Amino acid sequence: MHSGRAGSSRRYFAVTWLANNMDQAHIRNFSIIAHIDHGKSTLADRLLQITGTISEREMQEQVLDSMELERERGVTIKASAVRMQYQAHDGQTYEMNLIDTPGHVDFSYEVSRALQACEGAILVVDATQGIEAQTLANLYMALEQNLDLIAVVNKIDLPAAQPDEVAQEIEELIGLDAADVLQVSAKTGQNVEQILEAVVRRIPPPRGNPNAPARALIFDSHYDSYKGVIAYVRVFDGTIRKTDVLRLMASGAEIEPVEIGIFNPDMQPIDVLTVGEVGYIATGLKTVRECRVGDTITQAANPAPEPLPGYKQAKPMVFAGFYPSDNDDYNDLRDALEKLQLNDASLVFEPETSQALNFGFRVGFLGLFHMDIVQERLEREYDLDLLATAPSVEYQVVLRSGEVLTIHSPADLPDESAIAEIREPWMAIEVFTPEEFIGPIMDLVTKKRGIYTSMEYLDQKRVLLKYEIPLAELIVDFYDRLKSATRGYASLDYHFLEYRPEKLVKLDVLVNKQPVDALAMIVHQDEAFHKGQRLVSKLKRLIPRQLYEVPIQAAIGKHVVSRANVKALRKDVLAKCYGGDVTRKKKLLEKQKKGKKRLKMIGNVEIPQEAFMAVLRLDDDD
Amino acid sequence: MHPTSHSDPAADAGSPPPDDAALALYLHIPFCHVHCTYCSFNVYTRRERLIRPYMAALRREIALVAAGTSRAALSVYFGGGTPSLVPADEIRATLEACGRAFALTDKAEITLEVNPEAADLDLAGLRRAGVNRLSIGMQSAHESELKLYARLHTQSDVEHMVRRARAAGFDNLSLDLIYGAPRQTLRLWQESLRAALALEPDHLSFYSLTIDEGTTFERWLRSGRIPLPDPDLAADMYEWATDTLAAAGFEQYEISNWARPGKASRHNMQYWRCRPYLGFGAGAHGYAAGIRYATVLKPEDYIARIEAQSAPGPFPFSAAVDWVERIDRKTAMAELMIMGLRLTGEGVSYTDFARRFGISLDSVYGPAIAPLKAAGLLASDPDGRLRLTRRGRLLGNQVFMAFL
Repeated sequence: MHSGRAGSSRRYFAVTWLANNMDQAHIRNFSIIAHIDHGKSTLADRLLQITGTISEREMQEQVLDSMELERERGVTIKASAVRMQYQAHDGQTYEMNLIDTPGHVDFSYEVSRALQACEGAILVVDATQGIEAQTLANLYMALEQNLDLIAVVNKIDLPAAQPDEVAQEIEELIGLDAADVLQVSAKTGQNVEQILEAVVRRIPPPRGNPNAPARALIFDSHYDSYKGVIAYVRVFDGTIRKTDVLRLMASGAEIEPVEIGIFNPDMQPIDVLTVGEVGYIATGLKTVRECRVGDTITQAANPAPEPLPGYKQAKPMVFAGFYPSDNDDYNDLRDALEKLQLNDASLVFEPETSQALNFGFRVGFLGLFHMDIVQERLEREYDLDLLATAPSVEYQVVLRSGEVLTIHSPADLPDESAIAEIREPWMAIEVFTPEEFIGPIMDLVTKKRGIYTSMEYLDQKRVLLKYEIPLAELIVDFYDRLKSATRGYASLDYHFLEYRPEKLVKLDVLVNKQPVDALAMIVHQDEAFHKGQRLVSKLKRLIPRQLYEVPIQAAIGKHVVSRANVKALRKDVLAKCYGGDVTRKKKLLEKQKKGKKRLKMIGNVEIPQEAFMAVLRLDDDD
Repeated sequence: MHPTSHSDPAADAGSPPPDDAALALYLHIPFCHVHCTYCSFNVYTRRERLIRPYMAALRREIALVAAGTSRAALSVYFGGGTPSLVPADEIRATLEACGRAFALTDKAEITLEVNPEAADLDLAGLRRAGVNRLSIGMQSAHESELKLYARLHTQSDVEHMVRRARAAGFDNLSLDLIYGAPRQTLRLWQESLRAALALEPDHLSFYSLTIDEGTTFERWLRSGRIPLPDPDLAADMYEWATDTLAAAGFEQYEISNWARPGKASRHNMQYWRCRPYLGFGAGAHGYAAGIRYATVLKPEDYIARIEAQSAPGPFPFSAAVDWVERIDRKTAMAELMIMGLRLTGEGVSYTDFARRFGISLDSVYGPAIAPLKAAGLLASDPDGRLRLTRRGRLLGNQVFMAFL
């Protein structure tokens, strides 16, 4: 966790020059844009090493990714910022602020704010892979922010590297001269210093008025239990002093900073952050929601007339019910969610009651990846045994009365007779693929109710496909299917488009004649019958035989579309015991009992956890 | 002892075993010519040269353990493995050792497990040595099934063995059969059971096939060479057997065991009543003085340990003991239920439970029992006993789990 850095023993190597404020002309603020696995973190490590920001001894692989999960998944979840000192070939010393960005499309708003804090960006492309959709999406964002770009082909040490071809591709796609594309190996350090020189020469120093009222952009934050929320800021105008009373322009909160400082890479307190600089403000605030990414910090006594542009509140797109497997863990789950929320302003949750699963929470996420991370952190860092329902999107339900409801769970859908219209979120997606996979991708998108928008050849072999697709389809195994249909070659980017009215119906699932709210789903009318059948046959396989026969039905309203029976269990008894080995018998029974405990008792039917995720795998061929 | 003579106080499942309660003796013979494909027991092939030193060690262990107690033994059971690989003179010497050690009465039940192919087994010699019950591993009457199990005998070997045993004076013969096996049909099962009944056994044990870890069957199942048996078909086989045996005059006294009146195995009853028994040999299990224990698995290790033991240990331990579990009161209660309910005839007596543990069965297990009664798996009978119902016998695990 970020907070772990604050008091760490690494601080001793901090050197005094860092505390001195640089004149604007000697500051460079930049970030690195790369697709997952293209070597962004390795490059960041190498830059820290070359600039002496971190000693060899303290060199830890991928210093910037401090969460355990990040390290395991090899992706950056939260942005981070670090100040480096670099003595350039022109003999002058520069203050280089590297602002790290999250590497997943779920966090594209955070990426955009991190990019806003920069004047330039290093585009890293894997010499063995070429450009991917994700890279392109972030790149477009960088271009929108008018950032100056330095293109870098990485991993040239690999035998399969094709640096010249990739440089050519960069020229064709982005219009950067292939001759200016740097060819490096972050792993071996080869040519990495050229990047620093390019940053000095090609990325402009920050503009901004040192005498104007202060404006600092919050581009990230983390919660520290001693200092409250730590806002990561870039000063655009004026000066921020430790002694100032500050105001957050969107939330209106006023704070007296506990501390201000810089990252080198540990937090190091200083007295002043001046125009163009990147650093932190320890706000003392209790939650990151009072200190949102994108907000502008100014002086309360002399506020800026206008905040910096572009603030919006990140909005959860995907919702799922999280229930403790053991009802006694409800409070622990709430505490854990609250703790995660301290550091994650886009995580929302509210209590939810399910007839089937008792007390839990409906949790909102930026996307499925975000959901995965939250679930894993709850299970690993907080040691909770969770039952997650299949994810759902946010629907707008227009009632006959004219009232519009927003619902996050199929269980909340009102009675059919009261509904005038249901609207669901649609997304615009971009798929970047070698051309031989166009057919399979078209098939996949069509199956998922997607609509073709356009196709663009990026070079002779690679194509950018654009579609519109309901988010509800996107969150069900779309990405996995895309990957398998294209042998992993295609990459995907998406953003919200609009709400559209669709013919949607609620598919209820009845187990032993009782509707199980946690199994209900909202589906398109045309697919309801088919999906109902698939779901019932899936559930029939997943629900173990019980002492009674258990009918499983899928129904739309009162109309049953599919039915199957889980036959009653007839035989379940241990063989005779061998030579009086009672212990072995007991162990087998204990094992069986443990397995039984993992089942969720709904009515008098025991349902395994996998059943609640079955809706995600309705298209499987088994 | 009559399995259904519920009024016989000696047959009560719950009465506390007094310190001088008679013991059952289990002697494990871990040697086999061939490892059966379904078997996960502690057995070893190509170790026949160890038989004589092993039997000597067994006798030594018996004497060492007996030194710590003055209790009598009511049964001896040579189980395996393949006890019929052991020469009759070794069996005789071992039984003599048991007699010297534990005051073995004439009434003691002395069982030897026998493989049907042991054509030159000295049955008369065994009978003279005191063996009075043979448990014959018939398994199936069908050659195809016997081959699948890697058994070395044929159905005519079984018939021959039974005839010779009767001629040698054995009046208590048990046959073992396997049901619920891969590719076994109801018809094949019916034919095997009928063939077994035609041999007029006194006792029948049915082994409901489970595919255990580490067996050849498990490997075959994974590679697709055999299918997973259908549990519903196994249930049909069991139901048919239950009816057929009742009609043939057999009494069911345990989930897997049927006997002619008076021929229930006293030795096995000891396990299910949670009464004390001693395990001798490699990988043997015992339960005495509130302790469950097991001995070292490998016969070589067993022999070495026993040979190295110079003096008796605390009862019931020998130097071969490798694993111990002290059974606390709560566990003892659970075990009494799990084991006692397997006894379909006598079940678990409410009064005996209360006498043994000083607390009523209902106050301990009432909430666990109620839903099982409601589901029709358990019944409290007017004679003050809790028993599995007919349906409950096939769903025993669902019942037993409730007591853990």
